[in-house]
Amino acid sequence: MIEVRHLSKSFVKYEKEKGLWGMIKGFVNAKKVITKAVDDLSFSIAKGEVIGYIGANGAGKSTTIKMLTGILTPSSGEVTVDGVIPYKDRITNARNIGVVFGQRTQLWWDLPLIESFTILKDIYQVSDADYTERMTLFNEILHINEFLKSPVRTLSLGQRMRADIAASLLHNPKILYLDEPTIGLDVNAKKNMREAIKKMNASFQTTVILTTHDLDDIEELCQRILIIDAGKLIYDGALSDIKTKYGSDCKVSFVLKEPWKDFVDLAKMMDVDPLSITVTLNDDKLEIGFDKRNLSVATVTATIMKHFEVSDLSIQETDIEAIVARIYREGHA
Amino acid sequence: MKHYLNIYVKFLAQHLKRMLQYRADFLIGAGSFLVIQASGILFIALVFAQIPDLNGWSLDEMIFLYGYFQLPRGLDHLLTDNIWLIPSRVRRGDIDRYLLRPINPLFQVIVERFQIEAFGELAIGIILVAYAIPRLAIVWTPITILLALVFILLGSLIYTSIKLITASIGFWVINSMPIMTTIYNIADFSKYPTTIFPKLVQALVTYFIPFAFVSFLPATALMNKADSTGILVGSIVAVSLLSLLAYRLWLKGLASYQSVGN
Ligand SMILES: Nc1ncnc2c1ncn2[C@@H]1O[C@H](COP(=O)(O)OP(=O)(O)OP(=O)(O)O)[C@@H](O)[C@H]1O
Ligand SMILES: [Mg+2]
Repeated sequence: MIEVRHLSKSFVKYEKEKGLWGMIKGFVNAKKVITKAVDDLSFSIAKGEVIGYIGANGAGKSTTIKMLTGILTPSSGEVTVDGVIPYKDRITNARNIGVVFGQRTQLWWDLPLIESFTILKDIYQVSDADYTERMTLFNEILHINEFLKSPVRTLSLGQRMRADIAASLLHNPKILYLDEPTIGLDVNAKKNMREAIKKMNASFQTTVILTTHDLDDIEELCQRILIIDAGKLIYDGALSDIKTKYGSDCKVSFVLKEPWKDFVDLAKMMDVDPLSITVTLNDDKLEIGFDKRNLSVATVTATIMKHFEVSDLSIQETDIEAIVARIYREGHA
Repeated sequence: MKHYLNIYVKFLAQHLKRMLQYRADFLIGAGSFLVIQASGILFIALVFAQIPDLNGWSLDEMIFLYGYFQLPRGLDHLLTDNIWLIPSRVRRGDIDRYLLRPINPLFQVIVERFQIEAFGELAIGIILVAYAIPRLAIVWTPITILLALVFILLGSLIYTSIKLITASIGFWVINSMPIMTTIYNIADFSKYPTTIFPKLVQALVTYFIPFAFVSFLPATALMNKADSTGILVGSIVAVSLLSLLAYRLWLKGLASYQSVGN
């Protein structure tokens, strides 16, 4: 469905010096600053996939989406979306795609929401029957009827986002690009939004590409993730793989009734290599860090509870949040 | 084509609906416009109180020219005024949405607004022309009427093209508004007989920024002061070149459009 080969995009900025003299100098030879926002990206996406596209701020996610949607012309490399080169044949491409940029609406600001829909119906030449059917469906999953008559500028962020999603789906696009569709939404609204995306994907085999900083979105929706860092693709694979690769670190914390005084050889008690675990004891708080591949949570708790009296205990597994933070920090996966 | 027409009509209906909602705005806009126009006509009348004619142009001919000048300008103003907003749309990244819809982006820019106040210009133009015609020795045949209408259309295309050229500069230059207004204001030369200006100005508005084709040359043609075929051909050539250049530049601008970060 989507083929991307060695895709790059550089932005050129002319740095201006301050003051009048700087301005005059700027006319003669402004300092050219080139930002490589996307750097030699290659991937392909099949029909019906839901892809999580993640990366730190400024990594190049939105820039990639803009090249896929035809807004930006790539500096180099190739991109085809359903056989169409987006920036060369924008009109054909536009019929195949739906786009939501969470930070800005695609709707007509001053018009009542319903008018935006009727205009879009005409623009995309949606038949009356399809229109009625889809509007009913959108109301079922996105509850838009309650504010259909309000001008878009008066909608709350969550309402506007639902409206934007519905608008992007009105022509039943093959591909849906969602750039931060849950930004600023409350817990319930996020949940509904995810439900809506799931339903659309299930009912119409819509291919979805989703960028987000909320990793719950990813866990809920995506089988496959792409991680981008400084414009380069650093991971392309299943979410579960990255979890097994990095997610085996585990920590169990206990509050002991009577902390021990002398040295206790926990490693020996649990029959593992002392270097494979970390043990810290602060007053009555004991923390044991280990790798789940060597040691099970059950063994650790059972051992401690057999030898000591425990008043409280908690288990912290490394969540996707921590894994991704680590990958962003290290710049590779 | 039918598809585009349908969308055009839908947008027009939206605008009329909104205009009815904001009647006061419309009246204020049209009113202030009338004041400006009245002072312009007063100025001509004052000049002619001193002299009987200007380079062979009588007061009535001047009024015809002045009125005729308003028609292509009003038409352009009414239909394509939104082109002025292209540079600010570029700066804010609002060109994105045009590129995401399966319709010609320039068409989308244009239908987004109808400058209803332009009816003020059209009204003034029609009143002045109607006033001047019986006082002039123009022989009206179906051909001259057709010619007059064609010239109005061509004239407004000159406006639109020049506006689009200057607006497209906004893809490369952050603040292109001064360029736009300066060039647009050069059109004012066409309100008066171009021959009263220095040769350099005449050449400028005929060959370089061809505003002379907007009203001065068509008016001379209609009043039989010059060869109308030559002016018609000249006008068609000027409009073709100019609109081609304008559309090319706009497409080039779209290709180098950088959007904004988000
Ligand atoms: N229109 C533009 N002009 C100049 N530089 C830009 C433009 N758009 C993006 N950039 C730069 O390109 C880089 C990538 O930006 P992009 O918006 O793609 O990041 P992102 O991954 O979407 O980040 P975020 O998570 O903050 O939305 C950044 O360094 C940004 O400053
Ligand atoms: Mg972004």
